[in-house]
Amino acid sequence: MVIRTMANPRIAPRTLPDGVYRSRRIQTRRRLRVTDTLVALCWTSVSLAVALWLSYGGVGQVTDLASAITAAGIVAGLMGTDLVLLMLVLAARIPAVDRAVGQNVAIAFHRRLGKPALYLLLGHGVLLTIGYALADGSTVVAETVALFNGPDMALAYAGLGLLVTVVVSSLVAVRRRYSYETWHLIHLLSYVAVLVAVPHQLSASGMLAEGTWQGVYWIGLYVLAFGSIALFRFVLPVVRSVRHDIRVAGIERIAPGVVSLHLRGKHLDRLNVAGGQYAIWRFWTPTTWWHAHPISFSAMPTDTSARITVRELGSGSASISQVRPGTRVWLEGPYGVFTHAYRAAPQMAVVAAGIGITPIRALLEHSVLQPGEATVLLRASDPGESYLWPELAALPSMAGNRLYAMIGARPPGLATWMSAADLARGVTIMSVFPDLLNSDLFVCGPQSWTDLVVRDARQAGLPSEQIHVERFDW
Amino acid sequence: MRARTVALSILSSVAVLAIGWELGTQVQPPGAAPLATSAPSTASGPDASSPASPGAIAPSPAGVSGTFTGASVATRFGNVQVKVTVTNGAITDVTALHLTDRDPRSRSISNRAAPVLRREVLAAQSADVQGVSGATYTSDGYLSSLQSALDRAGL
Repeated sequence: MVIRTMANPRIAPRTLPDGVYRSRRIQTRRRLRVTDTLVALCWTSVSLAVALWLSYGGVGQVTDLASAITAAGIVAGLMGTDLVLLMLVLAARIPAVDRAVGQNVAIAFHRRLGKPALYLLLGHGVLLTIGYALADGSTVVAETVALFNGPDMALAYAGLGLLVTVVVSSLVAVRRRYSYETWHLIHLLSYVAVLVAVPHQLSASGMLAEGTWQGVYWIGLYVLAFGSIALFRFVLPVVRSVRHDIRVAGIERIAPGVVSLHLRGKHLDRLNVAGGQYAIWRFWTPTTWWHAHPISFSAMPTDTSARITVRELGSGSASISQVRPGTRVWLEGPYGVFTHAYRAAPQMAVVAAGIGITPIRALLEHSVLQPGEATVLLRASDPGESYLWPELAALPSMAGNRLYAMIGARPPGLATWMSAADLARGVTIMSVFPDLLNSDLFVCGPQSWTDLVVRDARQAGLPSEQIHVERFDW
Repeated sequence: MRARTVALSILSSVAVLAIGWELGTQVQPPGAAPLATSAPSTASGPDASSPASPGAIAPSPAGVSGTFTGASVATRFGNVQVKVTVTNGAITDVTALHLTDRDPRSRSISNRAAPVLRREVLAAQSADVQGVSGATYTSDGYLSSLQSALDRAGL
């Protein structure tokens, strides 16, 4: 069933002032350049690690097979350590990185580096043991035993073991079997793994030597990695949370399994939240203080109030919906690139399903839209999932813009984001959004459903800069 | 990832690696620079025919005999110090007083390298020999200490 509300859709959209569209294109291009630079910096950093070793005469040490294998082991260790430190930087939630690419992309990159880093470091250990054994004329086993005798080397082996544990626990197959908090606790061991390897880097290699460019680089990278984490994941959130003194003002149940938490605080406008952003929330009660949740702002915060809407999907979110008014709340953020500031096109196409409506409602509240600029499609499997729909329809930005509703279950066995009824009627993404290729597409909803919408959009030829997705799955 | 991102990353990485390689092929082997020579320790054994004062004119090399201890050279892996025995201006023995001993591996490397260096020095009758591969720090320290001993002997 397709419901048309609002004005007659045959009104031709008023074109945007040229200035707005031009500045959007400039901003998009600038952001893409920043992204390119950040990625290039990551790869250059790995090359720099090797280049510095080369510049200190690394290749000159290769004179026979044993020294060649040893050199390969050294290079593997340098590259692996560089990748691990980069992974720490990516996980540090640096605001500049979030503004450029969004935390989701940063964390996705972090995940991709995990296995290569581990393989390189394992290769480091194996190749060096073989190289030393060949040079000394002893066996690999004897060499391993000899290596263990130095106190620093035993620590280095321990660090490698911890790293293996961390990576194995993060494999999808293993991670699925434990709660998020258990996995996170194991993951924190990665800090220990990195620090415990530093003594052997000081004593057995020249990479941290003072007065060398190599030393400057590595010390700088360590400071960047641990400093960023300390600042952006600990100091800044604590300072902000204390300054804004956020507390739960009230709980409103808006649908079965869905609650809106009304929050009060001080100077919340200084958070500079943009519509569509989220924060990572921690509620200080005995049952909820040890887990933090990414939850979108479902309305634009005022100076003293804010609202988030949560769906009770697991034990964590269920316990959040039961906190009492007056509970102290800490936040980290706001983060997110799902906002009007990241638009690249004149028109706007919006698709939301279920709880995915939360950032979209805030996004539309914050956007200043011309009549005919936006087309919004709200999706639900059954009428019980249509919370916040009337609120969204009543937003001032929605005046003169199209709002569709699509209610109904998906056809069983078919990979589609649409309801069975609409699919049968021949509805496609292009028929809902005729102007799709000229639009920014904002999608938010369950993971697999969102992927199907994006797939359809890409197949229709929509470029990546115009596709904006908000994910809640990390 | 976009094609442009990949291209930029590859270009920048290759450039950095190339610069590193170039710098590496011009630089001295790592042994030369980082060694610091500590103050010479007292000479042991009789200094029969050469005066004890540092600035003394060396007597003719043909007649020198005695044992001369070289300076203790500090390396990353421990100190290296050797003693040279000279008979009538010819090097007849080199004894290692102290070799790199920072950890078991350093000890094993030095113990392997020292006899090789001794043999080479005796054959060349000077400190102008190639270092032992895989024992760069030991070799440089050994030969530096040896040279300072030879200087003391006037050779």
